[in-house]
Amino acid sequence: MWESLDLSKVIDYAKDPYASIREWKRASGKKVVGSTLADVPEEVIYAYDALPVTLLGTHRPLKKAPSLLPDNACSLARSNLELALSYEGDLFDGFVLPQVCDTTQHMCDIWRINFPDKYVESILLPRQINRESARYWAREEIERLISSLGDWSGKRITDADLKESVKLHNENKRLLKELYEIKRKAPATLSNKALFSLIKLSMQVDKKEFNQTLKKIKENLTIKEGSGYTDVILTGIACDPPEIFDLFDEIKLNVVMDTLVTGQRYLDGMVDEDVAPIDAMTARHFKRGFYSPIHDDVFKNVEGLKALYKQYNAKAIIYVHIEFCESEEYDLPDLKKAIKQEGIPIHVLVTEYQTLSLSHVRTRLQAFFESLKGGTL
Amino acid sequence: MSEKPISEKPKSKDLSKKITKEYMDEAFHAHELGKLVGYTTAISPVELFVAHDIVPIYPENHAVACLTSRMGTELSTATENLGYTSHLCAYARSDLGYRETGKTATGGIPDPDVLMACNAQCFTLTKWFQVLSRRRNVPMFVFDTPEWIMNKKAREEIIKYCVLELKELIKWLEEITKKKFDYDRLKEVMKYSAQASVLYKKFLDMAQYKPSPISIFDALIGMAITVYRRGTPECVDYYQTLCDEIQAKVDQGIGVLQNEKYRLYWENLPVWFKFSDHAKLLGSFGGVILTSLYVHAWSFDFDLNKDPLLTLAENYLNRFSNSTLEDRADMAMDLFKRYDMNGMIMFMNRSCKAVSFAVPTLKDVLTKRTGLPALVFESDMGDPRFYSETQIRTRIEAYFETLDRLRA
Ligand code: SF4
Ligand code: SF4
Repeated sequence: MWESLDLSKVIDYAKDPYASIREWKRASGKKVVGSTLADVPEEVIYAYDALPVTLLGTHRPLKKAPSLLPDNACSLARSNLELALSYEGDLFDGFVLPQVCDTTQHMCDIWRINFPDKYVESILLPRQINRESARYWAREEIERLISSLGDWSGKRITDADLKESVKLHNENKRLLKELYEIKRKAPATLSNKALFSLIKLSMQVDKKEFNQTLKKIKENLTIKEGSGYTDVILTGIACDPPEIFDLFDEIKLNVVMDTLVTGQRYLDGMVDEDVAPIDAMTARHFKRGFYSPIHDDVFKNVEGLKALYKQYNAKAIIYVHIEFCESEEYDLPDLKKAIKQEGIPIHVLVTEYQTLSLSHVRTRLQAFFESLKGGTL
Repeated sequence: MSEKPISEKPKSKDLSKKITKEYMDEAFHAHELGKLVGYTTAISPVELFVAHDIVPIYPENHAVACLTSRMGTELSTATENLGYTSHLCAYARSDLGYRETGKTATGGIPDPDVLMACNAQCFTLTKWFQVLSRRRNVPMFVFDTPEWIMNKKAREEIIKYCVLELKELIKWLEEITKKKFDYDRLKEVMKYSAQASVLYKKFLDMAQYKPSPISIFDALIGMAITVYRRGTPECVDYYQTLCDEIQAKVDQGIGVLQNEKYRLYWENLPVWFKFSDHAKLLGSFGGVILTSLYVHAWSFDFDLNKDPLLTLAENYLNRFSNSTLEDRADMAMDLFKRYDMNGMIMFMNRSCKAVSFAVPTLKDVLTKRTGLPALVFESDMGDPRFYSETQIRTRIEAYFETLDRLRA
């Protein structure tokens, strides 16, 4: 199903993977488990022979979600709920939903009540990460997920199953990193849209198959450096709709590094294969990069961004802010100020899932990069 | 409708004033008294602060005072001018605005030496306190309380995690203050907290009488002392006085409304700046709001026979705001039964996403389980820019018409 896709197909599937997942499910007879951002250990779900699918909204209209989640809920949360309520609910056998912010505080309850016939489990990873208790708790939660999936599926998994799953997921991330590296150095080889579609689709389909595609794409790439690109660092949680990447491509921005949960932060989630898998997955939780709902130190994040900006010799930072994401909204004023104080140009791009027109985003983005080139920033 | 004025000035009011004044004096002179000022969240194991000579200050309470005095728009605007959005909780916007402008409805609050956020009520406070922590480089502790899910084994683990955290909190306090934590003192503090909680609950439960001697508006005023003074003997005295006073009303058959037609449940925090207007408007229809899960959030059930850290963890974990929707519905149903309520107002408070995003689903569950219709309205607890007077009045009128029709 996903082992031999060309780039245009990858981009299509990344926009809407569900028809292909449906077909895969029919052919394989396996279970499909959706999860929302962030940090659900998908390796565990995969080890149970089910397909972990990260839910990243729908671009189709909101019909039922608004009556359950008001318009000041972030569009990602509303869009995911809509996806399951109106469009793709039948595809999923269950969901694993993390509690990270106020919007997701009772999300698992809402889903459980609205999907009484499905498996709905929460994952309550620690929302503090600097103390020993957090390590204890992260491990407990991973173990709870393992036993909950076991009770639901009636299966038992071994360390060997987990290890195999980890290996496959690591391989996926390694391949994506290699492609990122190529794009970074030779941006005309792979567009921003293509790279982030590859990452997004990796979070949604069977990696065993998709890794084949990644290998083939890599082998068949014609390296083209191109010219006139402006290198940028992308930061935030997620960047949607995907047409934003078209805008970046259009004005020749080259995303040389990012800290998105749906980007480099995901790729950084490789699990140490030499350690017992549960220990390794627990340790991974504490190595991940800044994520506004659980990481408290905005200034440390600024230091991290500054280091990336220097290391990759970027020209600016683009912060993609999902409107109504209150976690980001408490961080942003200080973050913006501190980055500006460092003399680093920053552009805050406000998005919403379901956005149809990007003309406003385009105008502001163009104006920013024109003044950057003109040296007025 | 007839309201009987109580001529005699209630003693509890004076006592509340006195306690509050002494408390704020202590807070403003904390350093001279060899104490520290610790900001904390309304639902947090403040007993540890009290037992360790840290005067707890609740920026939420100060925000309530400012919002009730209709300063919401002014303070929010000041915060928004700093780059924060208007979607944030009005408490946070009010607080950051106060810090920016110095404007307050009270004498203000002293700056913090330490910050402790417990996310059993929301995650907003954690993010808001992080802003304060960054500004003044104040040490901050997050007491993370995973949702109190309906799984016995998971609950045991959650408690273990939280007890571990409380031990870390004590160590953190010891390091900051260079003073050993006194567990005997904690036990004493817990004793006062437990006693005050029993009395506070008794006070709230007096709304079970018919006619009810108190409305939720009395409860909202009456809850202040347990929020900021629990763990002290004066808090116990206050609730004893309050209970005696209300009992006297009960004995005389005095109710908020003598002819109460509708005994109502309220979901969420109140609209602070419309507080008394709502009481009057509802009263004109024979309606009195008796209670909410919000006011019950401070009805703790501390077990003094248990390890104090264990009973603290259990009690702060199982608050309505940290419980699943199913448990929250059960808690509300318990109130419906005990208070014999026949209507419900479900407020979707834009400020409070943590509590409000569950409200539409909760409303569906409660209307099904009680067979009663619900009035749902959306607004903001503190920002009048999100309050539409005519729309809400019309909704309230229409709701009472529906209730009347059902009664007929
Ligand atoms: S962290 Fe932000 S984007 Fe994610 S669910 Fe919460 S509000 Fe939405
Ligand atoms: S009103 Fe809600 S969001 Fe605001 S501080 Fe209170 S619990 Fe948190």
